[in-house]
Amino acid sequence: MPVSSLDRRRFIQIAGAGAVAATQIGCGRHQIALGQRREIPTTCELCPNKCSVIAVVEDGLIRKLNPNPENPKSRGMLCARGNAGLLQVYDPNRLKRPLIRAGARGEGKWREVSWDEAFDYTAQRLSAVKEKYGPQGVLWSSTEAFAEVFFKNLGMAFGSPNIVRHPTLCLASVNLAYSMTFGTVPSFDLLNANYVIMAGANRFEALITPDTMDLIESTMNRKTRLVCLDPRFTVTASRADEWYPVKPGTDMAFILAMLHVIISEGRHDKEFVANYCQGFEQLAELVKQYTPEWAEKETEIPAADIVRIAREFSDAAPRAVFYAGRRSSTYQNDFQMRRAQAILNAVVGNWDREGGMVPNAKIALGEYMFLPWDDPQAPRVDEMEKNFPLAAKGDGAYLKLRENVLAGSPYPVKAWMILKQDPLNALPEQAKTMRMIEQMDFIAAIDIQMSDTTWYADVVFPESTYLERLDPIEVLSGIWPVVVLRQPVVKPVYDTKPCLDIVQGLARRLGLQQYFDYTIEQWNDAAVKELPLEMPLEYLKKHGVYTPPGGPKYGATLNPEHRFVTKSGKIELYSERLQEAGHDPLPVYQPPLGPPEGRFRLVLGRKAYYTHANSTSNPWLLDFAPENHLSINPAAAASVGVADGDMVEVSSSVGAVRLRARLTQEIRPDCVYMLHGFGKQSPWLKRAYHRGGSDAAILETAWDKVSGNAAMHETFVKIRKV
Amino acid sequence: MSKSHKFRFVISGLAAIAVAVVLTTAVNAGTPQPKGNEGKGRYYFKQTCKECHTKGAEGGEVTPLTKTTAQWKAYFLKGKHAGGTEALTKIMPDTQILDVQTFLVNHAADSLQPETCGK
Repeated sequence: MPVSSLDRRRFIQIAGAGAVAATQIGCGRHQIALGQRREIPTTCELCPNKCSVIAVVEDGLIRKLNPNPENPKSRGMLCARGNAGLLQVYDPNRLKRPLIRAGARGEGKWREVSWDEAFDYTAQRLSAVKEKYGPQGVLWSSTEAFAEVFFKNLGMAFGSPNIVRHPTLCLASVNLAYSMTFGTVPSFDLLNANYVIMAGANRFEALITPDTMDLIESTMNRKTRLVCLDPRFTVTASRADEWYPVKPGTDMAFILAMLHVIISEGRHDKEFVANYCQGFEQLAELVKQYTPEWAEKETEIPAADIVRIAREFSDAAPRAVFYAGRRSSTYQNDFQMRRAQAILNAVVGNWDREGGMVPNAKIALGEYMFLPWDDPQAPRVDEMEKNFPLAAKGDGAYLKLRENVLAGSPYPVKAWMILKQDPLNALPEQAKTMRMIEQMDFIAAIDIQMSDTTWYADVVFPESTYLERLDPIEVLSGIWPVVVLRQPVVKPVYDTKPCLDIVQGLARRLGLQQYFDYTIEQWNDAAVKELPLEMPLEYLKKHGVYTPPGGPKYGATLNPEHRFVTKSGKIELYSERLQEAGHDPLPVYQPPLGPPEGRFRLVLGRKAYYTHANSTSNPWLLDFAPENHLSINPAAAASVGVADGDMVEVSSSVGAVRLRARLTQEIRPDCVYMLHGFGKQSPWLKRAYHRGGSDAAILETAWDKVSGNAAMHETFVKIRKV
Repeated sequence: MSKSHKFRFVISGLAAIAVAVVLTTAVNAGTPQPKGNEGKGRYYFKQTCKECHTKGAEGGEVTPLTKTTAQWKAYFLKGKHAGGTEALTKIMPDTQILDVQTFLVNHAADSLQPETCGK
């Protein structure tokens, strides 16, 4: 009898059926006969932080997930999501075996099939599209995962230039802005900073990791002064020393006015600027116009406070940071706003200093050298070279790509392969994404659950969960980087496969097997061969993480001979490259549009219980926030006749959703707020099904002009009691 | 070294740098981006060049960041290896050289390399 079926049977015997039983096991309330107890280190997948965990496995069942203190990034902490991850394995509603659609798309009729049939059918449909439209007629989209590399490689080996990833729905603008200024994206040494400014970033509520806890602790102990700018009184605002309900979309005015004060008063780090930066004179000239009094009119933050904060910030430097934030898909000028942040950080000389911004240290992994393929013949369908010539081409620009696919320009794209992504909830303007789905001849999805988008697929490949599979070994870069291993802690409970097996199954049938002629073990052997360990793989299997000795290091780039990876070799306050591409070479302020009469700006946010749109069906997490509401200021609510608890319709030019109103003083009267990740339409997401509303249904399509990043705070909505 | 010798040395050094800058600038302006296969170039670079060009090895460490775009273009225009003593074609065929050149130029020290998350 295969162990996987033994595990499943034993699980059902012990726990009874379904989620209730699984919950009991995880909570430790259910008594089970104790068999062999093992503690297996592995790596979490519930959010981008990738903490190290130790799975406690008894009698073939995961009893609990604990933090792994050997990882300095995650230390002795595992958040709510990390703890709840084990329910992915025992979720009775997860994808259990390959499926082929048996009815109309979205009808929910499926046929369980063998892996061979799923592979054969998919390869045949992809080949048909390739034959008719060329390899560029197949789109490959994915979100971040250790095994994403295999999926992307299959798309490229197939010959498609159209690989699109998640960054332009998340942090492409911050990545590009810091890359164009410093040649790299640094980490922020929050643990050692004495002065932190967070604008729009909500670390105390949206991402609870050890460095968040560090900041909370140092803020509460008054070691770190925290200034928060946010239209909402978030948890971060509540823990800050100062909170300013900044007028939405004007953060850049605040930053430019800080630069005005710092430069006009000679508070910048003159030696650092002289040695490492170029374009200071042009910057100084530009910011002359951005006085604190001007910024007060834009931001609604008093000029005296801007002056004081600028002085305090420069006094605290280099242990002072203007935190970049994570999701930066906000406004159409987000890239330039992030550039202004980067420049502010640069001129106070916090670069590569303790408590400042630190370039990520790296650990070199070896590579399994597989045979490379020919370049695709066609250009990208999103025309990156023309539209976003400075952006990361390998990531694509999701919203522009969707526009062009819908227009069939410059050529038709008729098949869609999707890995671990739910575009129906991840992209603004759900109706447009649905039109994109409708115009596809074929769609296949690799996922662990039946997401809203997977619901419309023609073929569904069930992937093993992160606790059931061996993934590529990865380096988590940072101030103190580590190498982590994700290894299976239990055998797959159902008939599922890891990503590489799925990719190889398809590659064999598409005649591309020569590019995937290796095992995951060979891949990982090659990765670790240069680590300074006697038996690196054995070490990682035992510890889950390799941490180089010595701790964080600072100052490696603080040598006037150091060449930054920029055009000039210096930190570029002024960017010739931006000018050549037709953009402002310095951050020039553009005021945002205000809401028209009777409308409100929709702002979005995250809670640390949920990752993107894909963990609201987890019962432990759903208990924390069972549905999303519309947060609205009482004055604004009164103006549209809405009382606390009323059901309201929230509508924009592209759609409408219904939510219950939550009246609160914790938001400006010109904004309303809703939590991302709700309003699921897939009946297989039983717990999350039809709870709350999806922001994707009402967000309008807009993007940042330089990076192509989605601009998700540019939608004005109407509120109506229903 | 006397002061005047030092001065002449510095001046001649500066002149050499100026010539190099002019040369590389001219190369940069006049030479189009190579149109080889970057993925294959990376593969050949790692398989062939990295045999000797790693830290502590005979050829010393070489990475794409070792030179600027113009310097890589100038290097491949010259087509010489091992301090100018050997033709590059002795190391690998022309088609592979073009691929390696494309990889190195696209990832040179002054190239546009926006970072992303994940791989």
